Amino acid sequence: MTRRQSIAPAFLLLLIVTAIISIGTGAVSISPREVVESLFGTGPKNHSFIIGEYRLPRVVLAMLAGAGLAVSGAILQGMIRNPLASPDVIGITKGAGLASAIVIFLFPKSPAYLLPLAAFGGAAVVAAILYVYTARKRVQPATLALVGIAIGVICQAGIQYLMVKNPGDVNAALLWMAGSLWGRGWEHVWAVLPWILVFLPIAYSLANRLDVLSLGDEVAEGLGEDVTRLRVVLLVTSVALAGACVAVVGSIGFVGLLSPHIARRLVGGKHALLLPVAALLGATLMVAADGLGRWLLPPMEVPVGIVTAVIGAPYFLYLIGREKRRGI
Amino acid sequence: MQGASKAGIVLAAGMLLLIFGLVVSISVGWTDMGVVSGVKSLFAPSTSQEHLIVTTLRLPRALLAVIIGAGLGVAGAIMQAMTGNPLASPQTFGVNAGASMAVVAALVLLPHLPVPFLAPLAFGGAVMGGFAVYYLGAAGGMTPVKLALAGTAVHLFLASITEAFILFHQHSTDQVLFWLAGSLDGADWTDVNRVLPWSIGGLVAAFFMARSIGIMRMGEDVAKNLGQHVIRVRTICGIIVIVLAGSAVAVAGPIGFIGLMVPHLTRLLLGRESQLYLPITALLGALLLVYADVLARFIAYPYESPVGIVTAFLGAPFFLYLVGKERRAS
Repeated sequence: MTRRQSIAPAFLLLLIVTAIISIGTGAVSISPREVVESLFGTGPKNHSFIIGEYRLPRVVLAMLAGAGLAVSGAILQGMIRNPLASPDVIGITKGAGLASAIVIFLFPKSPAYLLPLAAFGGAAVVAAILYVYTARKRVQPATLALVGIAIGVICQAGIQYLMVKNPGDVNAALLWMAGSLWGRGWEHVWAVLPWILVFLPIAYSLANRLDVLSLGDEVAEGLGEDVTRLRVVLLVTSVALAGACVAVVGSIGFVGLLSPHIARRLVGGKHALLLPVAALLGATLMVAADGLGRWLLPPMEVPVGIVTAVIGAPYFLYLIGREKRRGI
Repeated sequence: MQGASKAGIVLAAGMLLLIFGLVVSISVGWTDMGVVSGVKSLFAPSTSQEHLIVTTLRLPRALLAVIIGAGLGVAGAIMQAMTGNPLASPQTFGVNAGASMAVVAALVLLPHLPVPFLAPLAFGGAVMGGFAVYYLGAAGGMTPVKLALAGTAVHLFLASITEAFILFHQHSTDQVLFWLAGSLDGADWTDVNRVLPWSIGGLVAAFFMARSIGIMRMGEDVAKNLGQHVIRVRTICGIIVIVLAGSAVAVAGPIGFIGLMVPHLTRLLLGRESQLYLPITALLGALLLVYADVLARFIAYPYESPVGIVTAFLGAPFFLYLVGKERRAS
């Protein structure tokens, strides 16, 4: 096991520690020891209830969503060959946002399960438009990013239009769009889990081909890769992951942008290692941000998406600055 | 001088269209009065209702559209000339998002701040946003793609901070949201007075710099060889952009894509370089925003919509068109 590979278990440990602390944080503070005892079913009854019904599903959901968004971002960055790409930057999250804004504002009486479905649909529509561009021969991946940005702008204008026309329900929509884990329970975990279980392994199985793609289209084709088809498969995988996560937790930014970056700095650019580490980091980041959001201004909760943005963006600037100095 | 006459025709036609647009702008809306009576009411006795609506609401709004449109157009033209990047504009460069965040932060954190201080604060935010994008995107030469990605990343970050401020101060959410979409609705003479000194200062300075800006468009090396003090020109132009875009945001919110579209339209109309490039860009910017503002009154009639939504719907396809053009050119 090389030094780089030995980092992965270390991050698993970090994730577990973060999760235990996060589970203990909130209106009722629970010590890490009691958290562990409750998880094994030997803790005090009242705490076990709080943990089992409220805190644990939330933390599990944060892990799943963080991992999904991080891997989605890692795939996009590898495919577009630009470290600034991520599901939020290329419009996928905005598509989900527009669809859920339509549900929140135009069909306020619709049942609760419709919102995530609609969000996923919105992400899928944006993906379909992007697909039309990718499937065409010889499209530069950069063009894909620009098309995504333009779609994002249109979706944003649509969201603003709906918000201005329906001032009454604005706060619900804003909260959703900021991305929040508030009030999420086991049913949300079950909703997102299948997607993660299916598409994370698919992403992992594509890791070596992502490496080939990062050498450039000509080299990849020379090595016998059908570049256009590979891109489509990657796009679908990335969108499925991002769409499922965003549908359940709202448009959480910067996890998909930041996690692959940190992972790349720690373990290098080989996707077979990069993808799992990015997933662990994304999960850790999300769990930590959610815990922080609950702890910062009680009794108010800072939506997790805002915490990730406030922490993530300055760090991101710093990272880019370092990479610039090293001349990448 | 075929080029000069072409510019002259564009200028004259633009002026006529602008005057017509202004007349339409003061006449239509929730109280629809028809173009003729709209103009008549300007000169009607000061007690009539039409006169009151036109002089206190519609006229300042129309003028504000002219001022801000001209300012944003010129700001975009300068940015495109300075960076040599066809996608540069106050919107794509994070300047709008930075200024908006500063203004929302001020509204929430310092509710008793006198309104005239908002513009300088917006300048501060604009500088911050612009620098962040430049920092992210400039490594190894700023290609259009890098600029767009860096601009979007910074925009998303600043927008989520802005969102946080709004979420924690829910009492004024509606107004702030409307403003955040970029809007001329509810403008009055104080708004015009607030933005006018900055805009006139910025525009006049830009026209004085027109020659240098034209030379900068040929690239940094050429500009140096022609004896331009590149750093000084860049600094002055940067300040002009910040003042024009920041003051616009302070009054009307972030109205996007005027600065992106208008310089290209000017080049499309004038063809090659022209001495009237900046004035015509200003004119077209004013024109675009005046008509977009008229449109904004009707897309959700009888409710007003923020004009920024209209410009975004026009601007995003234009952005795609530019991307396609770039690709074919390269």
